[in-house]
Amino acid sequence: MKKLMFVLMLTLCASKSYAHGVGFRQSSFRSIALEFFYSTGEKMSYREAKVFSPKDDKFAVQTGRTDEEGRFAFVPDCVGEWRVIVRDEEGHQCEAKIDIDDVSNLDMKAPEPEEPLYIRAILGVSIIFNIAMLIYRRKS
Amino acid sequence: MHISEGILSGSVLIAGWAGTTAGIAYGLRKTESEKIVRTALISSAFFLASLVNVRIGPSSTHLTLLAPMGLILGYSVFPAVFVALLLQALLFHFGGLLVLGANTFIMGISALSVYILFGKVIRESDKKFLTFTISFIAGALAVMLGAFLVGLFLGLTDGNFLTAAKIIIVAHVPLALIEGIVTGFLISWLKKSSPEVLS
Repeated sequence: MKKLMFVLMLTLCASKSYAHGVGFRQSSFRSIALEFFYSTGEKMSYREAKVFSPKDDKFAVQTGRTDEEGRFAFVPDCVGEWRVIVRDEEGHQCEAKIDIDDVSNLDMKAPEPEEPLYIRAILGVSIIFNIAMLIYRRKS
Repeated sequence: MHISEGILSGSVLIAGWAGTTAGIAYGLRKTESEKIVRTALISSAFFLASLVNVRIGPSSTHLTLLAPMGLILGYSVFPAVFVALLLQALLFHFGGLLVLGANTFIMGISALSVYILFGKVIRESDKKFLTFTISFIAGALAVMLGAFLVGLFLGLTDGNFLTAAKIIIVAHVPLALIEGIVTGFLISWLKKSSPEVLS
């Protein structure tokens, strides 16, 4: 009888532990959605993505892949700098750093505008020729 | 072909910088005063070529011009690549500063290899078709060599060289063909109009 009771209790425990129900509800948490792309304008579609929280810089709190449009979303639950790293198999990697001041207000600051591309291109060519002139003077 | 910051291991980064430092030092020694302006011009072309997008089917890439650089500059290619990549990292955010040594080594050694392999043959060739064909091979080979080295550097970092190399080499085949055609026409034209430009 004792053995029977033991088996019955074991069965009940086992069935309880394996009989999780599942469900869903709309989360009240807000997320941050990012878009990743190459310098050519091409989207980083279906690339490996990792999210690192401010609490742990070593282990990703979330891993996954970007969607077809190169988008990836995560839900920050604490303040600080969150990092999202998206990489492909060819040695390209994009690291987004997101400063979260308030988890209830995730409005991202607009990035600081950069100089137009043609200005940076002209600046680069100018620097190359200046370096060349310096080397020329030293050599002659 | 730029490897991004934060991907390569410390030892691979150091190896890249060691190779690049040697290449730059030797390249600067071999660069004669009268070739400095030409080196700056080609370095500028390489710097700007990264902004030219080439559409290949559903994806796109940008030109590298590795073979024309090598064939025109010879040993001076290392300083030219280094300065251009440094400015690409600072102004366009391509690659990065820590990985600059590895990227310079990969592209510099690819360009220099085709100069060593094909430079003399192209200079001495007097047939248009032969010049075009050899230049085409040089252009394609420089890209494939660069892709192989990217795979090697990534493989040395994560220990999975074969997979990394396969993916990268296959991905660079269309670019290699395009660069082969560009190099073929460019070197053929230079050979005809100003052959003294070729190192």
